[in-house]
Amino acid sequence: MGLQFDRIHKSFGAVNALRGVTFDVADGEAHAIVGENGAGKSTLLKILAGLVRADSGEIKWQDRTFAPSSPRDAIEHGIGMVYQEMLCFPNLSVSANIFCGREICRYGKLDESAMRARTQAVLDRLSLKIDPDAPAESLSAAHRQLLQVARALTFDCRVLVLDEPTTSLTDAEADHLFDVLRALRKAGTTILYVSHRLPEVFRLCDRITVLRDGQYVGTYNTAEVQTSDIVKAMVGRDIRARSEARRSTEARSTEATLQLTRLSRLPVVREVSLSVGRGEIVGIFGLVGSGRSELLETIFGLHQPTSGSIALDGNTVSFRSPRDAARAGIVLVPEERHRQGLWFNFDLRNNLAIPGSTLKDDLLVRADVECRDAERTLGEWRIKASGIDAPPDSLSGGNQQKVVVAKWVSTRPRVLLLDEPTKGVDVGAKFEIHELIRKQAAEGMAVLVVSSDLPEILALADRILVMKEGALQGELDAATATEETVMHLATHDEVTA
Amino acid sequence: MKRFRAIRELSTVAILIAEILFFAWYLWPEAGRAHPFLNAENALLILKYSSIYGIAAVGAAVVIISGGIDLAPGAVIALSGVVSGYLIVVQQWSIAPSMIAGLLIGVLSGLLTSLLIVNIKLPPFIATLGVMGITRGIAFIITEGQYYDVSGRLPPGWHPLGIPIDWLAPITMFVMALIFQVLMTRFQWGRAVFSIGGNETAALFSGIAIGRVKASVYVISGLLASLAGIVLVLVQGQGKADLATGYELDIIASAVVGGASLAGGRGSVMGAVLGTLIFGVLRNALPQIPGATFYDRLIVGLVVIVIVVMDQLLLKRGK
Repeated sequence: MGLQFDRIHKSFGAVNALRGVTFDVADGEAHAIVGENGAGKSTLLKILAGLVRADSGEIKWQDRTFAPSSPRDAIEHGIGMVYQEMLCFPNLSVSANIFCGREICRYGKLDESAMRARTQAVLDRLSLKIDPDAPAESLSAAHRQLLQVARALTFDCRVLVLDEPTTSLTDAEADHLFDVLRALRKAGTTILYVSHRLPEVFRLCDRITVLRDGQYVGTYNTAEVQTSDIVKAMVGRDIRARSEARRSTEARSTEATLQLTRLSRLPVVREVSLSVGRGEIVGIFGLVGSGRSELLETIFGLHQPTSGSIALDGNTVSFRSPRDAARAGIVLVPEERHRQGLWFNFDLRNNLAIPGSTLKDDLLVRADVECRDAERTLGEWRIKASGIDAPPDSLSGGNQQKVVVAKWVSTRPRVLLLDEPTKGVDVGAKFEIHELIRKQAAEGMAVLVVSSDLPEILALADRILVMKEGALQGELDAATATEETVMHLATHDEVTA
Repeated sequence: MKRFRAIRELSTVAILIAEILFFAWYLWPEAGRAHPFLNAENALLILKYSSIYGIAAVGAAVVIISGGIDLAPGAVIALSGVVSGYLIVVQQWSIAPSMIAGLLIGVLSGLLTSLLIVNIKLPPFIATLGVMGITRGIAFIITEGQYYDVSGRLPPGWHPLGIPIDWLAPITMFVMALIFQVLMTRFQWGRAVFSIGGNETAALFSGIAIGRVKASVYVISGLLASLAGIVLVLVQGQGKADLATGYELDIIASAVVGGASLAGGRGSVMGAVLGTLIFGVLRNALPQIPGATFYDRLIVGLVVIVIVVMDQLLLKRGK
């Protein structure tokens, strides 16, 4: 029967992405997989799609062991994937996109007319009014998403897997997608639907499986549960690792160090107003695609706001580049340390010294001072490395992250913006990074931290703002907020302030 | 990493010495006859002609370390040579202002390249390919196929700044190499070049003025190429439009053989200069081997591949 996951384990380095996930999906049902970021949803899908292999455990598909060796292998076994990032070739036509990799040939030549005819047939089936010859780049986001569904259908897929398919769709577009999916399910296609938007899940799916921290929590019949039950299952830690030692509030003051007034960068950031006081840690909770990173990048001068204003210590500022922002005392610790934070052609000393020395406009590299500072930072931040001349790739993820945070903190900024400060970091390093951030705030720095990690936001922030679809949904006092109230704000359509 | 860099430069020196020893042994003459390769006159000849590549290779190394590429140096050498030759011979200018005009050509072509790369955001390969065509084209338009006989206009026994004319090119090369070695290793500017080549996004997020640094890199490459062009014209005594044809690839190869990574973030100016010497020795010695005349291009190509593969193996072991 159906699709069975049996004790699936997968780890990447020291991170356990999946820890013994077991559940099954019945033939012909619409089955949702939900969970917080990092719960293991994507990893599970990647295993099913043949992109990565499980360390142990097996998938059974129609009672036979199924271990796809490549995405092509998975497709040939009837698993159709619709990815979040909308993989399509913008320069190719709709029919070329659909048949890419499995073109129909006659006498060794492409049979354009056969491919066009079959494309037309599948488009009709999805009641899509698209020209098979139109280039994919001329399609709307929704149609591109549906193009992937069409592609899966032409390969006779029996399980259609969708990963956050509505992230970039409007409500009307999403409605059309749901109509299509319901029709497909009626025709017997099994649907595996991954999303963190619970209202959608409740509209579409028969059963819901919840994953948390790489583990299976439970499978629920949609008809028998409420949204709140699912939210509880998603976050469901009993103890909140709320910082035992709440910070002293001495350094805090009411005057805003950073103040945003109706700041927009359309279409991703919409009319965000907030303030961060001296010594205060404000947390923004938002899921992937909520515009949280874009908000920080707009403050940091990477993007220009389309309207609204930024004020630092009461003076309106505008930054043309991160350099401008950093010179004014606003710095950003970016989300992706590999891509945005570290130089692998430099040793730790250079990595730690660059932002500070660049901002000071020194002419010469002052190696002796930098070595001394780097030694001190390694000690103060407890960065485990063979020395200041170690290359960053010899460090663990947690220690790399400490380097990225430390290099900015050492410039003594007024405002510290942090984007997912402990992403992919082990628990010990996470705790240490939190401690160091608190210490900076206690010394008067204004801290704005964005995270999709609920316990992190709850442990770190004095006030919690929830962001969804580019706008702030509401504010919660960290003292009274719970994981459920935060998640509720982040996933629900109606605003409950 | 510092240790590795030192090893890397030493290994380039080692290759150069090994190469010299090999040709010294292979071309060892019969008793009583002068060595055709291992003599002071030939050494100066090698230095003299390698230096033209070497001066431009200093700039090429800086560009490559920044993660870019410059295809224009050969053409810029020709244009600046032609312009200073034209001013000396046709316009009867004296030597110093003509040379300054030639250097200005290099700066201008570098500025044009920067404009295309930094402001218009063309990929460096395309931008410099275009600038290469433009500069070479202007050189042909100016000369209309003629050449300017600069040698006739130089004072007999001319010693610019007291330097014998044969030594002009090598001394210029070593001075430039020294200046830029220090700039690249001891100055914030040099570290910014390395940081942009190593991870441009991280550089942007760290407040490095990427546009300014990138622009400076291409202007420097243009300036050094024009310096090479002027020196070439003075040494060779001729300014013509097909000077230095195809040099750009040899210059890039020299920088790469000297340890620069085309992925950016790695390499050294001294290494690039040593790279040009490795090629200079090959170009000088191979034609002296009986029957090898037609093999020199092939051997040069093989040497590039062998040295870069060795470099990668060494890098892997270092990790």
